[in-house]
Amino acid sequence: MEGIEISGFISLISLLVILLPLCSFLLILGGKKGRGADLSLLNISLSFILSVYLFYFIWNKQSVHYQLPWFLIGNIEFKAGVLLNNLSVLMITLVSGISVLVHIYSRTYMKNDLNIHRYWAYLGLFCFSMLGLVMSDNLLLIYLFWELVGFSSFLLIGFWYTRQAASQAAKKAFIMNRIGDIGFLIGIMIMFSQFRTLDITALFGETGLMNASIVKDGLWISASRQIPEVWLSIAGISFFMGAMAKSAQFPLHTWLPDAMEGPTSVSSLIHAATMVAAGVFLIARVYPVFDPVVLNIMVCIGAFTAFMAATIALTQNDIKRILAYSTISQLGFMVMALGIGAYSESIFHLVTHAFFKCLLFLAAGSVIHQLHHYRDKIGLDFDYQDIRIMGGLRKGMPITFIGMCLASAALIGLPLSSGYLSKDAILITAFEWAGSRAGVYMLLPYLLVLTSWLTAFYISRLVFKVFFSQPKLMNRQQTEQIQDAPKQMSYVLLILAFFCLFVGFSFNPVSFESSWIWNGFSSNLFQKVQIYHWLVPLILNIGSAGFIFAAYWIYVKNDAVSLPERNIFHRFSKQEWYLNEIYGYLFVVPTEKISSISYWFDRNIIDALVLKSASLVRVLSGITHWFDRILVDGFVNAMGTYAKLIGRFSRNFQTGKLQHYLITMLLVMLSFFILTYFI
Amino acid sequence: MIPLSHFLIISACLFCIGLYAVLTQRNAIQILIGIEFMINAAVLNFVAFGRFDKINGGGQLFGLFAIVLAAAGVAVALAIILNVYKHFKTIDPSKINKLKD
Repeated sequence: MEGIEISGFISLISLLVILLPLCSFLLILGGKKGRGADLSLLNISLSFILSVYLFYFIWNKQSVHYQLPWFLIGNIEFKAGVLLNNLSVLMITLVSGISVLVHIYSRTYMKNDLNIHRYWAYLGLFCFSMLGLVMSDNLLLIYLFWELVGFSSFLLIGFWYTRQAASQAAKKAFIMNRIGDIGFLIGIMIMFSQFRTLDITALFGETGLMNASIVKDGLWISASRQIPEVWLSIAGISFFMGAMAKSAQFPLHTWLPDAMEGPTSVSSLIHAATMVAAGVFLIARVYPVFDPVVLNIMVCIGAFTAFMAATIALTQNDIKRILAYSTISQLGFMVMALGIGAYSESIFHLVTHAFFKCLLFLAAGSVIHQLHHYRDKIGLDFDYQDIRIMGGLRKGMPITFIGMCLASAALIGLPLSSGYLSKDAILITAFEWAGSRAGVYMLLPYLLVLTSWLTAFYISRLVFKVFFSQPKLMNRQQTEQIQDAPKQMSYVLLILAFFCLFVGFSFNPVSFESSWIWNGFSSNLFQKVQIYHWLVPLILNIGSAGFIFAAYWIYVKNDAVSLPERNIFHRFSKQEWYLNEIYGYLFVVPTEKISSISYWFDRNIIDALVLKSASLVRVLSGITHWFDRILVDGFVNAMGTYAKLIGRFSRNFQTGKLQHYLITMLLVMLSFFILTYFI
Repeated sequence: MIPLSHFLIISACLFCIGLYAVLTQRNAIQILIGIEFMINAAVLNFVAFGRFDKINGGGQLFGLFAIVLAAAGVAVALAIILNVYKHFKTIDPSKINKLKD
């Protein structure tokens, strides 16, 4: 009895966590223009405090699952509710925590925007849907929030919708995500037709239907029915497709770099820390559905995405684009980790990545913010996101510099940082996994190592170019006038910087196994190979140090003047592997062709048909009109006329004169007699 | 003895004259006279056919009766004509067409 009361109380609190941001969305959208900063900050802070409370209540203690009847289809009852276990409380704390920080940061960053109330409202909508997504206990509910998350991301990318590029990017993100959503929906349908329920605990719990179903003789057998085995793989691929679009995995990743058109604070919250992690979260939630085939696909796609994005990030010049590709790369790591079964490592990396990537974006945001203001002040014209014109900002912006350095260290995985724990955990597990495989899978961990080194290079390129190298546009005195961002923004950077250190996650800086998050999801599947546990981090860090030094040498010492710009690899990377062009040729151009053909067809055939049939109908109706007018009306009129004539004729007998009547009587009598007697 | 057919011819002539007067005259009094002609033609027929009665004198009696009735009718008719004159200021039947409608 007590348990029920407690779970009711908990679910009430979790509902509050979800509904507070929704409430700020509704109130701000209905409220005055340009307002809403305080309300949304208040709501999200409350939400965060409640999440922390839930976290302490649930983490490693008991999971709470509370649901209410939702609706009936036939005799299958759908239930909606909250499912709070380690994964969801970790996610809500992470999401609401980072949201609070980004809200504080945005107060300054977005201060002078005219439509700021829309910004706050959309952020509220996003937080609502993201928190709902991680707490839902039902695939259908998750799907609803999934769509809402995509929609709010669309709104925020296109926040500056007057800019052509921003609205294009918003559309692109939306369409790419729709492709994944279709996959997700198909997965849901397969699960429903197989198990007749969408409840996550019932499906994927320890004793759930998914674990109870077996694959035998090419059939996938559940309690209620059996279907060919291939559907299991299809379901897995479908769910993975949803995750692929949301988490920007190859080949559906191209929307994320373009999504950088949104405000930087949005990029940091949505497109680095939280929303893109939703795909990883989804994979983690429905994990039992993936069979070995799908897991292998996942591994390959994750590893390939990580590598590809890292190579692209090497040559980009837009500061946010570099970070976007870095995000894609790190998401690739997470997906790969999930694919090899390193569930806890993946979630661990998700959490650390959320902090350091958020910090990277916010630091980049401060640089952009300050440069923008400086540009407006001195009236120069330059692209304030281009790292080629930056340089020497270290002196003027120490806090941003420190934050950026710490975050980069975590991204590279240098010792004492949080990334060292989580990323090396993934790599070590990958090596352990590869030990049990053969063939091409042996190569994947090495690909990841290479990717890590590339990561070290591109992020140090960014840091060196922005903070160390000679300023290109201005002289040194001018550059030093560019100060750190206002206090509110800088404090946020410092808070996040703390979480890039190992202390937030583990008291032992070299062992990921002592981290509390990793222990929260222990899933140690592999034979622990001790040698990897010190060799892999060692090799990684030596290589990374080498690459950092190389970057230092190229970009600070030589100032990158001698770098060959024209070789084929450089162009390939600069053009982002030509994927946008390839998609253009493969999908956009044919679509445009088809639509112009359909337009022509519509115009010349359908429309012509319609017009022809319209004139036919006109002719027919003319005939009918004539028929109606002449024949039917004519008949009726004739009847009328005859009746009138007869009436007029017979009126003549009614003269009112006595003698006429008498004559008539006489004639009638006479004719009667004549008829009677003479004929 | 005068044959029956003579009576009938006279009677028919009287009737026709009366009818003609009724139908053509432009004076109500003259129409009344025409009606008297026709009644008298009928009375003449009564009397003439009275010879062949099984009951003696039936025809004559009926003739007398008819004469009395005719006298009464004439009295009533004159009264009507008087009233018509009062009302229409004329007794020309072709000008009185109020029977219409």
